[in-house]
Parts: sequence; C-alpha cells; structure tokens
Amino acid sequence: MNSPDNNLVNIEIDGIATTAAKGSMIIEVADRIGVDIPRFCYHPKLSIAASCRMCLVDVEKAPKPMPACATPVMEGMKVFTESKRAVDAQRGIMEFLLINHPLDCPICDQGGECELQDQAVGYGRSVSRFSESKRVVEDKDIGPLVQTEMTRCIHCTRCVRFLEEIAGTDELGGIGRGDRLEIGTMVARSIDSELSGNVIDVCPVGALTNKPFRFSARAWELMARASVSSHDGVTSNLYYHTRRNEILRCVPRDNEALNECWISDRDRYSHYGLRSDERLHEPMVKDSNGSWQIVDWDVALDAAAEILTDAGEDLGMLLSPSAFNEEYLLASRLLKGLGGKNIDSRLRETTFTDDASRQIQFECQLSEMAKADAVLLIGSNIHEDAPILGHKVRQAWLKNQAAIYAVMPRNYNYHFDCAETSVIEPGKMLGQLLSIAKALGESLDTRSLQANVANAVENAAADEFATHAANALKAADNALLLVGKMALSHPQADWIRALAQAISQAVAGRCNLIADGGNSTGARYYGAQPADGGLDVAQMLENPAKGWVLWNVNPALDFDHPALVQTALAAGKVLAVSSFNSDAILANADVILPLAATAESEGSLMSFDGQLQQVSAASKAPGMSKPGWKILHRLGTQLGLEGFEFSRLGSLEMPEECAAVRTDFEFAELEVSNGLNRLGEVGIYSVNAECRQSAPLQDTHLASRAVISMNPEDISTRDLSPGATVTATQGDQQIHLVLKSDPSIAAGCVLLPAAMAETAHLGSAWAAIEVEAK
Amino acid sequence: MNKVIRYFKSLMMIELWQGLGVTFKHMFKPKFTVFYPEEQIPKSNRFRGIHALRRYPNGEERCIACKLCEAVCPALAITIDSEMRDDGTRRTTRYEIDLFKCVYCGFCEESCPVDSIVLTDFADFHMEDPKESILDKQQLLALGDRFEESISKNRQQDAAYR
Repeated sequence: MNSPDNNLVNIEIDGIATTAAKGSMIIEVADRIGVDIPRFCYHPKLSIAASCRMCLVDVEKAPKPMPACATPVMEGMKVFTESKRAVDAQRGIMEFLLINHPLDCPICDQGGECELQDQAVGYGRSVSRFSESKRVVEDKDIGPLVQTEMTRCIHCTRCVRFLEEIAGTDELGGIGRGDRLEIGTMVARSIDSELSGNVIDVCPVGALTNKPFRFSARAWELMARASVSSHDGVTSNLYYHTRRNEILRCVPRDNEALNECWISDRDRYSHYGLRSDERLHEPMVKDSNGSWQIVDWDVALDAAAEILTDAGEDLGMLLSPSAFNEEYLLASRLLKGLGGKNIDSRLRETTFTDDASRQIQFECQLSEMAKADAVLLIGSNIHEDAPILGHKVRQAWLKNQAAIYAVMPRNYNYHFDCAETSVIEPGKMLGQLLSIAKALGESLDTRSLQANVANAVENAAADEFATHAANALKAADNALLLVGKMALSHPQADWIRALAQAISQAVAGRCNLIADGGNSTGARYYGAQPADGGLDVAQMLENPAKGWVLWNVNPALDFDHPALVQTALAAGKVLAVSSFNSDAILANADVILPLAATAESEGSLMSFDGQLQQVSAASKAPGMSKPGWKILHRLGTQLGLEGFEFSRLGSLEMPEECAAVRTDFEFAELEVSNGLNRLGEVGIYSVNAECRQSAPLQDTHLASRAVISMNPEDISTRDLSPGATVTATQGDQQIHLVLKSDPSIAAGCVLLPAAMAETAHLGSAWAAIEVEAK
Repeated sequence: MNKVIRYFKSLMMIELWQGLGVTFKHMFKPKFTVFYPEEQIPKSNRFRGIHALRRYPNGEERCIACKLCEAVCPALAITIDSEMRDDGTRRTTRYEIDLFKCVYCGFCEESCPVDSIVLTDFADFHMEDPKESILDKQQLLALGDRFEESISKNRQQDAAYR
C-alpha cells in the first residue's frame, strides 16, 4: 500500500496498519488508533521532554527500545507495544520510578486518580526489591491554591513545561541533577499565574494537588457534573465534582473551541464562594419599620409583584452581565409586559452613545485567535480580563511570532513580549489610537467614520509607536485588535470602539471586544440591553425610576459609580434577586429573593464568539433559593403577562434574531482631562460576588488590595512619601489608604481598585481624584 | 414375617428404651450448656463482632482517612469525612458505622492499610433506640481502647496466616 500523499507514511502498531503524518510521534498515532502506551511526561499540549521513559516501545530493526513520545514515525515502521522487550523495558522503568516514590498511597490526595498508581498496577512488581532509604524532598509553599508534596515528584517536568509554555510565567524549574533534581521556585515564592491550577491536572502523581480541597474527598466518591464557567465570556467548560450534592472541586472539561483543556484559577476556585456566609437562603421582605422579615415565597412574590405593578413602565432593570440567556429573555419579556423599556447589563460601562453601531463584536473566533500574527491590545490586561484569551494571545506570540503592540494605562505584566508598548494615562489613550489611525494614512477610510471622529483623525499626529504599530498591523495577514474591559468601561469607550473598528477594517484584520461579565454576548442577544428608545444604565441612574429590579448585582460593588447607584435606588422601591447578600442590598432593597448560583441552576450561556453552552445544575441550591428562570416565570404568570406559557425550561423557545438596537446617536465631543485621574481597575478576583467570597482566591497575590498606587514621579511632585497613609478625595468622598510607588503606572493616574468594600463609597472608577498627605 | 417382628418390637417399647438410653447416657457425661452471660463459649480469633477504631501505643489514632473501608463496604454502612488536621496529617472528622446496615463481612478490616478499623470478638451488644445504631468516631475509638488487649492478642495469633 503506497500512499499517494508525500506527507503520509504507512506504519504498523501492534499489527494494526495505519497512515500517519510525517514527523508525528509514535505515541500520537497510537493514541489515535486506540493502542494504549503508558506515559508520564508526555502531554499532547506540551512540548516533548522524553524524560520519564515509561513509553518505551519495541520498534522493528531498532537496536533498543525507543521512547514512543519522541520517536517520529517512518515509512514501513513496525511498532510493538506489548512485545517482551517493550514490556520488560516498561517494567524496569516502573521499578526505577518507584524506588524514590513513597508507597503511601492511602494518605496521598492523588490516590485513586493517580497515573503512577494506575500504571504500577499494570507494570509494577508486587513486592519492592529496594531496601535502601528513600529520597526525601522538602515541600515548597507555592501559594494558597496548589499544595506540594515534592517527595512524590517523579520529575516528568509537565508542570515546568506548562508554566513555561502555556502560562508563560516560568515560575517552576528543576534544580540539581540526577536523583538530586528538585522541582521548585528557586527563591521561595508563590506561583502567581492566573492559570496556576492547571499544574494540578497535568501532574501525574500527587506532588501537586488542590490545596483548598486537600484531604477532603476521594476521587471515587465524587460525581463529575458537567458545567460551564460564568466568570468570563470564554465560558470555559468544566466539571464540578460533587459529593452529597455539595461541590467539592472543579476540573476542566475539554473543549477545543473554547478553553482547550485548561481553566483559569478563577473558574477553578470560585465555587468556594458558594459556601460563604453571605449566601441568601430565604426570601425576605422589609416591613414598615424597616427591619427585615424572613417570609415564604408566596408572600415575597406578592410583595415583588406589587413593586413591579406599582412601577409599571417606569421600571429600571439592572442585570448582572453573567446571568443566563433564559434569565435575560424572561426579564426582557417581563419588562415588555409591564410596558417598560429600561434594561441594561453593562453595569461597569460609562458611555453608550454609539449603541446604534454596536453589534456583538467578536470577529475572530476563540479557536482562531492563536493564529494572529499581529495584535494590538487596547486597554486590556488580557490575562485578568479573560485568562484563557491571554493564553491564546501568548500562543500567537509563541507559535506565530506575532508582533504585539499595547496601549495601556499601566504596564500590565503580560506573559508575552510586546514589540512596543505605549503606557499612558487613560485620558490620553484615545489620542494614541487617533495617532495609530492617522499613521495608517490612505488605507483608513475616513468616510466610514462619523464626521467629528474623522476630523479628530485628520488633526492627530502619528508618533513613533503609532507608526510602528500601524506598519506591523498593515503587514500582517491576520491582524487582531483586542479591546479590553478597561477600554470598554472608559469614558471615551465610544470613540475607542469606533477607532478600533476602523483600524481593523483598514488593515483587513479582526476586532474583538472583551466585554465584562460571563454572558455579555447572551445579554446583547437576548434583550438585556436597551432597544427602541429604552434607557441605558447611565441614563437610568440619572433619571431614577419608581421601581427597580437588581438581578444578582451588588449595588456597591458591581457598578462604575456606586455612590450614584445608591442615590438612584433610594428614589424607588427595589426588588433584589440575588445569590449573595450584602450590606448594600440590605440597605437599598425592599424585597429580596434568593437566587440559585450558575452552578446550581440550569440554563444556557453564550461565549464571546456566540457558541451556546448548556448548563445543568451541579449541586443543590441552598435553603429556599430558586433558579432565576423559575422566579421570572412565576412573576410573569402571576402578573398575567405574555410569553410565560411554558412549564419546563426546555420548552422555552429562544429567539433566532438578535434584538434591535437604538439608532439615534452622536459621538460626544472629545474631552481631555487634566490633573490626576483614577484608574479604577476591577481585580481578576473581584469580578462578581462568587469570586469575592472565595477565600482561596482572595488569599492569592493577584487579589485586589486596598492601596493607592502612583507613579514615583507623581509621588515626588506632590511631596508624598510611599508607605505613608494618604487621603484620596473623589467629589466629597474621602478614603485613607497606604500609598505605594509603582513605576509601571502611567504618570497622571492613580490606581485605586474598584469592586472592593473599602472603595465602594467613592465615585466613578474613571473620574478625577486628588491625593494628598494625611 | 416383618409385620410380626414389628408387632413384638412395638409391644416391648424397644424404641422408647433406645431413646431413653441416650438420655440416661448423657446424665453421666459433662454438660456443655454455658451460663451466658456469666460464662462464654470459646471464640475464634477471627470472630467478627462489633467494630472498633484502634490507636497506636502512643495514643495517636491509627486511621488516616484513606476511605478504603468506605469504598469496599458492600452495605454502604461506613460514612467518612476527612480534612487536614492542624499538624498537616490526613484525619477523619467523621467516621460513622451504621450497625443496622453492616453485614459483618470484615472487608473493612481487610482493606485497612493501618489496622485501624477492626472487628472485635465482642458481640454482646444491644441498643434501645434505633438512633443508637450509628456508631460515631468517639464511640468507635472508645471501643478500641476498651478491647485493645483482645484485639492485639487475636491479631498476633492470626498474623502467621495473613
């Protein structure tokens, strides 16, 4: 049998004839045709180390057994994985591996799901011949998420390769040689990658295990329930491992189109927030004295329906950007039934003038992103916005040598090298984009832009960074523009979006907007954004409604301008439907309905690129809390509205078409701010209540800390001293915090994180701020 | 002819005397009735009575919460919760055996890598309330402390055959 294709070779494994691509390894072909070869160091997503030698197989005419993971296939090759020579070699390797590996599986957390344990059953000796003393290695403390037991390490270096190749943080390495080789961090420090939890999955033994989960359950007692993460729009597929209806841990579920085989730490450890004391268990109603009474559902729903009917069309709906599609659809139906139009889920955004031109903008599919060869990052701390997207950009840089340019308010610690960066205060970011647009010259079609935007481009001057970036984008075949959460919540986001779109069109590239929340795409698609003259969140807060619905949001932490939200809510009656309680909800709401969290209810989410992901309940919701669709269904039927004639979620018909958009808009004039501006970042583990309540995540170095950070130059010009407590003033609100000097921050801005209890009383995350000595 | 022999045998009550013979013979043999509970019959060192959790001689509990007994139990009578104790060791926070579910098969004992859960040779137990059927960790450890002497003796005798 001769293959006509020159890139294919014929080989035979254990008598099974097959063809394989030239240059592929024996183990890949064996995996494809279902021949099992034992392995420890080989991982399909990582580079080949061939360090464990467990995959030794017998190759015809080869003088000795060959490692299947590092032997390329050749024409006519005959491989025997179960011949005496192969099995002898594998047994020998197993005996060597077990020399220094402790044989105390009963106390090891990996017991029952350990690759070494499984292989030892097949290839190990029943009795050890090794009577000398075993090697002992000191455990390393690498942070609150990953537990180490380095004596168990078999030096496969999967974790080292993962952090080097996928996470890009090079935080682990091997020190020493031979049996003195130790995997560690060199200097004692924690692993701060936002993907660090994946080393637990790649570790074939119990050397790296899940720290918060430690010793709490065995693999065989756990039920794996498929679910989807709702912390970012990647909608990573995952399994919740549950026992007695309680989620004990979370592991990734392969989906090549989305998260591949990785998940971020945010997805992996946020479920600890579900057990927090802040969970709402019972419906509550505020009585006439202003004190809270726990009531049953019927009473609470009557009170809720009263708020809705009293408000009628003057109802404002503010929904979490991480809710289910069904919740968005039913909420918009409820609103429509009552005659209202004011609904929004873009709670952290500040500018909506361009709503007309805004579509779901994620032109480059998630699976295509790694193919980009030039990337412009606009205000995106991509590793924190959506860690999996950071991984995709890093793959583009690693595999395609993509030229990466970034415009950002502080030097984000990217896990890839940028060709050039422009670190400027938020107020000047737009100027930098105008400059890039100008540098594109003729290729940018100014006619497609609004007149004032086109004018601004005309008047801009192309600086050096802009020229380089423009040239790189123009030269690229697959240019990719990524507009991050920071840029999208920027007061000039309308201009930024328009320019990003124009630039990507000019260079025949693609533009992806990384919106806040786990289901921003679904919110847009299923009617949770204003249409037909409805008010957006900014307008709603300026013109307070008679009645409000807060859907799983914390008024103090989930908005751009918490102080404004609280005044607006005070003007009307508030129905809060939420999974988590908080002081702000207790202070503002009149009726509270307990909501099941994403992991505890059924529904669907939509990824950034529009892939529909079905979710089913992984565990039981606590107390009396109910899934959102049931709450909305009950309210809808109680009020006798249209569109609620279904009894099961499966029989709810979802619309095919995207909701219409507003068409009246004009770009606001450009304002350039002077003085200090706040840079109110939302930390990676502050995005929603579930993450904020997760103790393991809050213990990491990546979690937000309440400090004021400024550029050293700004500090010295204001006669402040780092380490001292300073007073920051925004409007008439003040805060006293420790000042930190951080040269990565652009001059002219003050980094003071948002979405923290400490900073919740301040104003907008983007407004002017004054800092003086206390 | 047989009919005639049977007639005379029945007339002379031979079968009755034979039966009484057995009775009278045993009047002169030693009695094997025991006065339970004052007296106990001898038990095998493999007797499977009530469960116990053992300790090491230094007082440290043996159980390491590996959960093999829970996994092997055919009646699902064992429930274990575990966590890391402050000294970093793997320990149970809950160890419960439901005596109503237990079939006294001894698999838990067989599976235990540290000889912690054992079946003692003590079988004289009762309960007055159905709720008492569940033995918790403290009760099991107390049973272990109470029967440690016989447990270790039985295991010593059986060691050669394991």
